[in-house]
Amino acid sequence: MAHTVQAQPPVAAGRLALHGLSVEGVNQCVHCGLCLASCPTFAELGTEMDSPRGRIFLIKALAEGRIALGASTAGHLELCLDCRACETVCPAGVPYGRLIEAAKAEIERQRPGGVLRRAFRWLNFGLLLTSPWRLRLAATVLRAYQTSGLGWLVRRGGLARLLPGTLAAGEALLPPLPPARERAALPPRIPAEGARRARVAMLTGCIQSVVFGAHNRATARVLARNGCDVVVPEAQGCCGALNAHGGDHARALALARHTIEVFEAAAADAVVVNTSGCGAHMKGYGHLLADDPAWAERARRFAASVVDVAEFLAQEPLRGPLGPVPMTVTYHDPCHVVHGQKIRSEPRRLLAQIPGLSVVELVESDWCCGSAGIYNLTQPAMATRLLRRKIGHVVATGAEAVVTANPGCILQIRAGLAAHGATTRVLHIVELLDQAYGSASRGGASGEASGEMGRGSASRGGAST
Amino acid sequence: MPDALLDGLRGLVGPANVLTGIELGPYVIEGRTPDAAVFPRSVAEVVGVLALATEAELPVVPWGGGTAAAVGLPAARAGIVLGLSRMTRLVEHEPGDLTATVEAGVTVAGLQSALRARGQWLSLDPPDAERATVGGVVAADASGPRRHLYGTPRDLLIGVTVVTAEGAVVRGGGKVVKNVAGYDLPKLFIGSYGTLGVVVEATVKLRPLPDAERLVCASFDRLKDAGDAVRALMSSDLVPNAVELLDGAAAAALGAGAGLGAALVVGFDGLDEQVVWQCDELARLVTSLGGRDPRALPPEAWARLAPAARAAVGQPVAVMSFALLPTQVTETMEQGANAARARGFHTAWAAHASVGVVSAAIAPEPARPEPAPLAAVLAEWREMAHAGGGRATLEWAPLAVKAQVPVWDDPGAAGRIMQRIKREFDPRNVLNPGRFVAGI
Amino acid sequence: MAALAEFRKASLRRELESIVGASAVLTDPDELLAYESDGLTMLRALADFVVFPTSAEHVSAVVRLANREGVPFVARGAGTGLSGGCLPAEGGIVVSLMRMNRVLEVDYENQIAVVEPGLVNLHLSWAVGRRGYYYAPDPSSQQACTVGGNIANNSGGPHTLKYGVTTNHVLGLEVVMPDGEIVWLGGRTRASAGYDLVGVFVGSEGTFGVATKIVVRILKKPQAVKTVLAVFDEIDQASAAVSAIIARGLVPAAVEMIDQLTIQAVEDAFDCGYPRDAAAALLVELDGLTVGMEAQAERIVQACRDSGAREVRTARDEAERQLLWKGRKSAFGAYGRISPAYMVMDGVIPRTKLPYVLRRVNDIVAAHGLRVGNVFHAGDGNLHPNILYDPRRAGEEARVLAAGAAIMRLCAEVGGSISGEHGIGLEKADFMPFIFSPDDLALMQRLKNAFNSSGLCNPGKIFPTSKSCAEVGPAAYRPHAIEEKGLAQRF
Repeated sequence: MAHTVQAQPPVAAGRLALHGLSVEGVNQCVHCGLCLASCPTFAELGTEMDSPRGRIFLIKALAEGRIALGASTAGHLELCLDCRACETVCPAGVPYGRLIEAAKAEIERQRPGGVLRRAFRWLNFGLLLTSPWRLRLAATVLRAYQTSGLGWLVRRGGLARLLPGTLAAGEALLPPLPPARERAALPPRIPAEGARRARVAMLTGCIQSVVFGAHNRATARVLARNGCDVVVPEAQGCCGALNAHGGDHARALALARHTIEVFEAAAADAVVVNTSGCGAHMKGYGHLLADDPAWAERARRFAASVVDVAEFLAQEPLRGPLGPVPMTVTYHDPCHVVHGQKIRSEPRRLLAQIPGLSVVELVESDWCCGSAGIYNLTQPAMATRLLRRKIGHVVATGAEAVVTANPGCILQIRAGLAAHGATTRVLHIVELLDQAYGSASRGGASGEASGEMGRGSASRGGAST
Repeated sequence: MPDALLDGLRGLVGPANVLTGIELGPYVIEGRTPDAAVFPRSVAEVVGVLALATEAELPVVPWGGGTAAAVGLPAARAGIVLGLSRMTRLVEHEPGDLTATVEAGVTVAGLQSALRARGQWLSLDPPDAERATVGGVVAADASGPRRHLYGTPRDLLIGVTVVTAEGAVVRGGGKVVKNVAGYDLPKLFIGSYGTLGVVVEATVKLRPLPDAERLVCASFDRLKDAGDAVRALMSSDLVPNAVELLDGAAAAALGAGAGLGAALVVGFDGLDEQVVWQCDELARLVTSLGGRDPRALPPEAWARLAPAARAAVGQPVAVMSFALLPTQVTETMEQGANAARARGFHTAWAAHASVGVVSAAIAPEPARPEPAPLAAVLAEWREMAHAGGGRATLEWAPLAVKAQVPVWDDPGAAGRIMQRIKREFDPRNVLNPGRFVAGI
Repeated sequence: MAALAEFRKASLRRELESIVGASAVLTDPDELLAYESDGLTMLRALADFVVFPTSAEHVSAVVRLANREGVPFVARGAGTGLSGGCLPAEGGIVVSLMRMNRVLEVDYENQIAVVEPGLVNLHLSWAVGRRGYYYAPDPSSQQACTVGGNIANNSGGPHTLKYGVTTNHVLGLEVVMPDGEIVWLGGRTRASAGYDLVGVFVGSEGTFGVATKIVVRILKKPQAVKTVLAVFDEIDQASAAVSAIIARGLVPAAVEMIDQLTIQAVEDAFDCGYPRDAAAALLVELDGLTVGMEAQAERIVQACRDSGAREVRTARDEAERQLLWKGRKSAFGAYGRISPAYMVMDGVIPRTKLPYVLRRVNDIVAAHGLRVGNVFHAGDGNLHPNILYDPRRAGEEARVLAAGAAIMRLCAEVGGSISGEHGIGLEKADFMPFIFSPDDLALMQRLKNAFNSSGLCNPGKIFPTSKSCAEVGPAAYRPHAIEEKGLAQRF
């Protein structure tokens, strides 16, 4: 039996890159495979091309010119959630997020897709997300659609089935948009209560401001309660995360520069973000603009000032009084919080300070729910599988609410729970904190901000002595 | 046996080390007398003996201490007993490595005393350790009560040197405690009853001697309660080194007292404080489950545990051993005893309860001189074991009984693989022909 | 000719699809690329097919088809192996077991679990963990590697010092034999009739068939665990401490050593708490009863101090303990931070030879102009010198292989073995004569014939090439086949 063995082929000299973006990081991968079991798509499919190691292999082969970008290779790379769970477990420190973004940019260049997809991209990345007013206008139209009964007609009348796959999935996920008063912009400055701790600038987000204005309001209130002067730069737009993840590199750069400019003008101690995808992306501006001499240093400095809201609040004990929130919740780690920003204990520490709240751990709490930016629109089949998996674990906890920290996850998990017929609520962590402060001011105060809720997170394994 | 062959053997190992005729008494199995018994002193001599025997296509029966010689069917043809009792060197013992290499003829007791002098031991306690040899223990996969914590030969043997039927000296495994180079040949020879090769040297893992050890016995009125205590013990935090369950008859033979329903005997080792604490905990546990009078047994009781069932019936007509799921041990013991009693037999049962290994000895009730056929009881026992997913082996019985009741379970489809292995290893079928499973 | 081959491939593909379904067969060359190596990237080979069975019947049908067509096949789990053991046979079928990953049954009272081969090792411990049980063999890749892969390699891990390796925890196997027959070896009880086929199947590196169901023992979690970190300024002191611990009559659950280069890599990765300036650290874990734990820990601490440890401390809590272990278990991957490639050796030596062998290993690697990181199971004497290199530098790979061979030879010379847990695979096949005679190898070959007479099941592994077979024994070092650049044929 002939058994051919090849030695390592000579590697092309020079910098490995795709679409001009360095993928030198592939050389950090030593093929140990520790990432495999942490990858949701690999867990679902069991195919190595759909694992981080396999994708790194494909990216390397692409960059080295060993293979061309065929449909199957593009398909496996596009199936990546970019959840970066693999980065968390990777001992070699492979910068996987950067590699996959470069690969996706290359795919967009070589295989821009059909008319519908391009139209979708143009509408989202080119038009709506680059301009807050256009997004608000679209929201007004959408709200009219939802309240007119037309939405009901589309869903019940079977029209949804006639829509192309991604649009149909999008329709199902569309949140009921709040009325105009909730979509209104935050005031430009919310003053601190009590002793002043810091001046923070808030990213209100593009979609967030439209869909989840309430979260922004809650964030501002909780920050103010904790001694922050909150400023909300009016000229801010989209941070460009969706563009970057979707392979639209050029617009991602432009949006990053704009964001930096706007927030520099706010002269804050920190830029607080309550949407994880944005936070993780903005923390990476330094890398994004590293090759732009005019911006590199500014981007690095700006990135260092970006902080997730839970990360920020957990730096000090919450200021009281916090009222009781008597319910059982579980916490879902959004990918771009736990993997993108390595924030794992902070939200749990915050929850533990809410009196009356009981927290049960969620199995695979740090697994992607399938939302992943626009993934649920572009890869509806895999998104649905992952959502089912997530909902199964959520329901198994018996919790009354899932607490998380990202609008995408909230929409996705809500849709999943609704489809499952579960009544479990889905809350942003700042909503829960806001509720605790509200409960305190209504008189149900325990007065103690430092709760005794640590029991919820049971320790694992045998006793350590 | 041709004289030329006998001369050849005498020339090889010296005339004094070739027994014939009347001297063969100790090597008669089930009434079958071998042609000769040969006692080589070196690996080279073993090679020579096998070469001569294979040349003559004469069966060879490797022989250690003879403690398991009666297990299985005797060779269909008379042949040569290849005794290893002169190969008794302790080849190597490096305490810092916790390993020792010995020749196959070293007795287990002999090895233990040499090791004990240096603060170590082989954590294996087969029955009849004064006679049982290391090679024999490997070939028969023998173990004792302490297997609960320390396992069996397959957990302790790390290297083996065998002489194949064709006279090749083959080493499997090695001298280091962890080793996955090549196939795990040592496993193949464990429990192979001398059908694949002659074990001439073994390397084993050792352990430091524990500071303290104690054997505790509790009495129960009912076997079932003792079984429940075993389950409770297994799900507790305690770390016993032996968990033995004996029915009333076996308990009496052990010296645990007469007229008991059952006895639970548990061993502990480790630091003094650990042994003391565990004995206290065990006392609490058994008394809460109907156990009485938890008490320490003298150290000599260890050696009486494994043969307790056999000793209890005096002159057994058969001994059957079972490998069961631990949860089925008490039920099998009770049902098996009842089935035998209904046919006019009395029995005694002893079990390594936590690992599901049970031994039963059977003899006719003195009051019923003409009992129903023994074969029927044994067949019923075997069915009982199979019904629960377990196995049964007829460890000992007269040849007439073995003719009716198979010694070994049918290994099923795996038997064909075993036959292929036998053909590959011993193509001329000289090593213990017909003794083992599947006609091997 | 080529057209004929393509025609045959297409028809084979259709037949495979009819067995496992169209979505469970890969033939796209770009997709097959992801299967061209395992954890050892130095060796590569391309299969023609990857199939994803979901039952023993699937596996059996695929294997029967392969036999009919004379096509080689190789079973594969997570592909984390480090010796090329599941490297595809060129033009053959890879049987991926990743879709057979269920825990079929757990019997807590009898302390056994029945699992499928594609189950991730750690997931088994998770599955039974809530009831206070765990699966003891814990290879460092346990978060990704599969139980089936562990069976093939008889995998070890840090805690095998006290608890034994995979083979000590497997009771029964449902196996698809190399001819396609489905056979049970062993079962759920502690003994079975006849030869210990489970014992020889475990560690046969996929050459005896494909395990499709596995009965393993699960153990009760110990009442208490204590982890001691001892820090040394000299490697020899750490080696001496290992012997000192054993000399005090202790068998800890694990005794792991990690050297400076490795400490620095893992600290870069995860900030685990190993001091970066230490020459070596020992991670010693005790488990068992709460009673006596302090006394035993005290013996460990004393043994380390007497051997010259500059610092000895115990992990304060479970979090710190987990972090220390995370560093230990991620060490191989962490080399990716300081080197684009590494080759891990897996030699075993008698514990008492540790100081000598470690010094020699460092000398050998230095003499080849390379760097080495050591992180290994010191209590077992199971070394893992990791030779760091850059495949892009001309000639470096050849030097790595030469140094590796010299280290293997050293292990053999001191009475050790060339593999403690990673298996021989393809990588070390030619080193087998370092420790086995032609007669030893011939008997192993006969055992293989009894299982795998056609040779189609994972061909080319374990046994040295016929060329090196001729020059066994203490032969002079011969260049490894893969040192010759480009293609090499193995038969």
